Amino acid sequence: MKLYSRSCISATRKPAIASPNFRSHQYHVRKAPAPVPPEVVQLLASFASHSPLPISLAKLLSFGRPLTSKSILDSVSYALHEIPRRLATRVRHLEALPFIVGTNPYVATTLNAYRESFQWLATYPRVTNLEQNEAFTAELEHLVASHANDIPTMAKGFQECSRYMSPTQISNFLDGAIRNRISVRLIAEQHIALSRALKSPSEEQNVTHNGIVNMKCSPLDMVRICGSFVGELCEATLGASPPLIINGHEDATFPYIPVHLEYILTEILKNSFRATVERHYKLHGNSSTWPIPPVLITISPPPKVPGVSGPKFMSMRIRDQGGGVSPTNMARIFSYAFTTAGQGADGGQDESGGGPYAAQHVGGSAAIGSGGTGEANLFGEITSKGLQMGMGTIAGLGYGLPMSRLYATYFGGSLDLFSLDGWGCDVYLKLRCLDEAGDAQI
Amino acid sequence: MVNMLLENRVRFQSTALHFYQNRQLELYASKEAKRLTLRQLVFFGRSMDEDRLIKSANYVRTELAVRIAHRLRDLQALPYVVVTQEGVAKVYELYWSAFEQFRRFPPINNIEENKAFCESLRKLLDEHAVVIPNLSLGLSLSSPYLAPELLDSFMRRMLISRISRRVLAEHHLALSGSYNGKVEESGATERHVGIIYTGLNVKQSIDKCTKLLKERSHHIDENYGVPSTYWPDVIVDGHLDTNFAYIKEHVEYIFFELLKNAMLATIQKYHDAATLPPIRATIVAGNNDVGIRISDQGGGLLIPQIKSPSDLFSFSHVRNATRMEHSRLGALRTVSSDPRGVKATVEEQVEPQSESPEKGVGMAASPRIGIGLPMSNIFATYFGGSLELISLDGWGTDVYIRLPKLGTNLEGIEV
Repeated sequence: MKLYSRSCISATRKPAIASPNFRSHQYHVRKAPAPVPPEVVQLLASFASHSPLPISLAKLLSFGRPLTSKSILDSVSYALHEIPRRLATRVRHLEALPFIVGTNPYVATTLNAYRESFQWLATYPRVTNLEQNEAFTAELEHLVASHANDIPTMAKGFQECSRYMSPTQISNFLDGAIRNRISVRLIAEQHIALSRALKSPSEEQNVTHNGIVNMKCSPLDMVRICGSFVGELCEATLGASPPLIINGHEDATFPYIPVHLEYILTEILKNSFRATVERHYKLHGNSSTWPIPPVLITISPPPKVPGVSGPKFMSMRIRDQGGGVSPTNMARIFSYAFTTAGQGADGGQDESGGGPYAAQHVGGSAAIGSGGTGEANLFGEITSKGLQMGMGTIAGLGYGLPMSRLYATYFGGSLDLFSLDGWGCDVYLKLRCLDEAGDAQI
Repeated sequence: MVNMLLENRVRFQSTALHFYQNRQLELYASKEAKRLTLRQLVFFGRSMDEDRLIKSANYVRTELAVRIAHRLRDLQALPYVVVTQEGVAKVYELYWSAFEQFRRFPPINNIEENKAFCESLRKLLDEHAVVIPNLSLGLSLSSPYLAPELLDSFMRRMLISRISRRVLAEHHLALSGSYNGKVEESGATERHVGIIYTGLNVKQSIDKCTKLLKERSHHIDENYGVPSTYWPDVIVDGHLDTNFAYIKEHVEYIFFELLKNAMLATIQKYHDAATLPPIRATIVAGNNDVGIRISDQGGGLLIPQIKSPSDLFSFSHVRNATRMEHSRLGALRTVSSDPRGVKATVEEQVEPQSESPEKGVGMAASPRIGIGLPMSNIFATYFGGSLELISLDGWGTDVYIRLPKLGTNLEGIEV
């Protein structure tokens, strides 16, 4: 009989048989994570017991029209009321995930972050004057920035947990999480923007902006900004980028939240640019003089139709010659499951060799920008703007399309993709004009 | 008065007889339809000899009886108030007579008998040319009595079965014709087997339809009667040399209808502009399918009577309010009583100019009866393809057509 275990190798240890921890040296002990401290539990219960009241966009925008000290204080008390409630819902949903998923370090990190933010906001003292508001707003900004990596973190976690949850479960969870996130940021960013505007007002700003809503958001300007950003990224990673042609009603403007539009356009253009260049290389080689086919964007403002009332939408079509999406993949491109379907399980590559729209797993050969430092790069590219993600991250996760669709549909718009398999794709984007969207639920 | 009473009594008696004699129908309806693929149709017709021709004739004879029986049972399951409606009643009676004829036709044993069979077949096809407008009229009128999903799925089964039967019949007639050494009427130089063109060039078909459309005058449709003399151009790009095997009539109907819609929308939007924006057709040869995208700048599908583009395929007024419009019903009634009927082909829409000078050149005096899109959808989906429309509101419409090119899909009819 073996009386001495491995621990005897160390000279400083007592003879194993005498140690009360004798058994513990022969196999690993698994300890469950620590429970939540009781005061947090109570706070959560009180906030989560009332599900968030869906508020209308009109209500949110009313704090900015007119913009006064009083309206700012109304706005802050509103934020202090609504945001913790929504964070509590998020915490509850995370806590409801299967235990084994919750022990995943990425998921656990996210849960803790939400709990902390919730606690901070739920116990924040009342804000009664503009000075206090300034302090609060500064901290709120920090909080928002600290949550910038939530989605990639959770995404990585779910990738690792794909065998413990069904694709539908993951998809439903992420849909709820992202929508919740959009609403929290909406309320927070609107308050921050309004506070700034009150502090340093500019004539122009007050007329065309209401906090984060730009009443004269120009699709043309946004396309140009996103186009040049994505174009540079594309050049840097693939060596070339397609020309961008814009037609339609170039001067059209509409009331919208620029940051949302920027995110959606960036994602769509990333897909189109990468697909176009990769297809071009496939057909003509890496250093050919053949012109790269352009990506064509058509802008169409809400038409005036006699006898038709109802919500107004700004429409855009992004057309590329990136080879299209095969019928088999069409069912999958809007699902998160396409990404999280086991990093190594099916060899990481589908039959078309990964394709431009296919999930290119983090760390896999096609994940651009991952260099050799894998996870460090994943978070390294995220800028302080929070929503903007570098090509190597979102592109590597394949979340671009489902998330863009969530953003587009948030106020009642739509995002549809049509494919000409073997040629290219057309993405149709319809965004609601927010001046007449007062009834939209946040 | 007495005559009417007598007629009613006869009707009542014949209705009762109808009920008790349904057994024969049920016998045929209980059989399964033997579906074919495009490839099978081609292979079968490639090396024709007497034996094969006879075999084809008997297949058509029995198969059509079974398929019509299925449709009759489907009609019999509809609400009583629907089938006694004008339009639907006529179709029901036509189908009954066709069923009886097929059922009673003796087996075919030689070329002579095939000839007689072909004559009957041709006669039936012509008689049934009135089915589509009558059915559209009847079902639109019945829209209040049927839930939209039921109505549309019924209509779909009817229309797709109809074209499947016509495909089998016309294919057999074409094969018989070429076996008997008949001279090709169209002087076609393209390779074909029966009605299937094995080397159908997509660009050529698009160009042909463009040309036919441009030869028409604008005065055809009163709504769009604009005194201008030009039509928008159709620019074709993509894989221009795409060829595949398909039924030419179907492909050309789809292109004709879609280009017609695109052109009319463009003209209506830019009626006072100096130049018309062109229509762009993109052809793509995929691995399993041929894809065609038709993009116009006609302002999009801003039709208040529908909620989404796919409602345009619906015959229910709940989904598509234009189905119950006065002008639409009137047009359907006019066309339904015309023995020439509507067969959903390009040919019937392009009459030689000399024949009807007072109606204006070009299209036969068919007012818009709203079957172009639904029929295009049926033709596209018959062998497993698809047709989708999307509107860029205020700018234009895009239509995506996908047609399988390997010929290995079975007919999309119910068994």
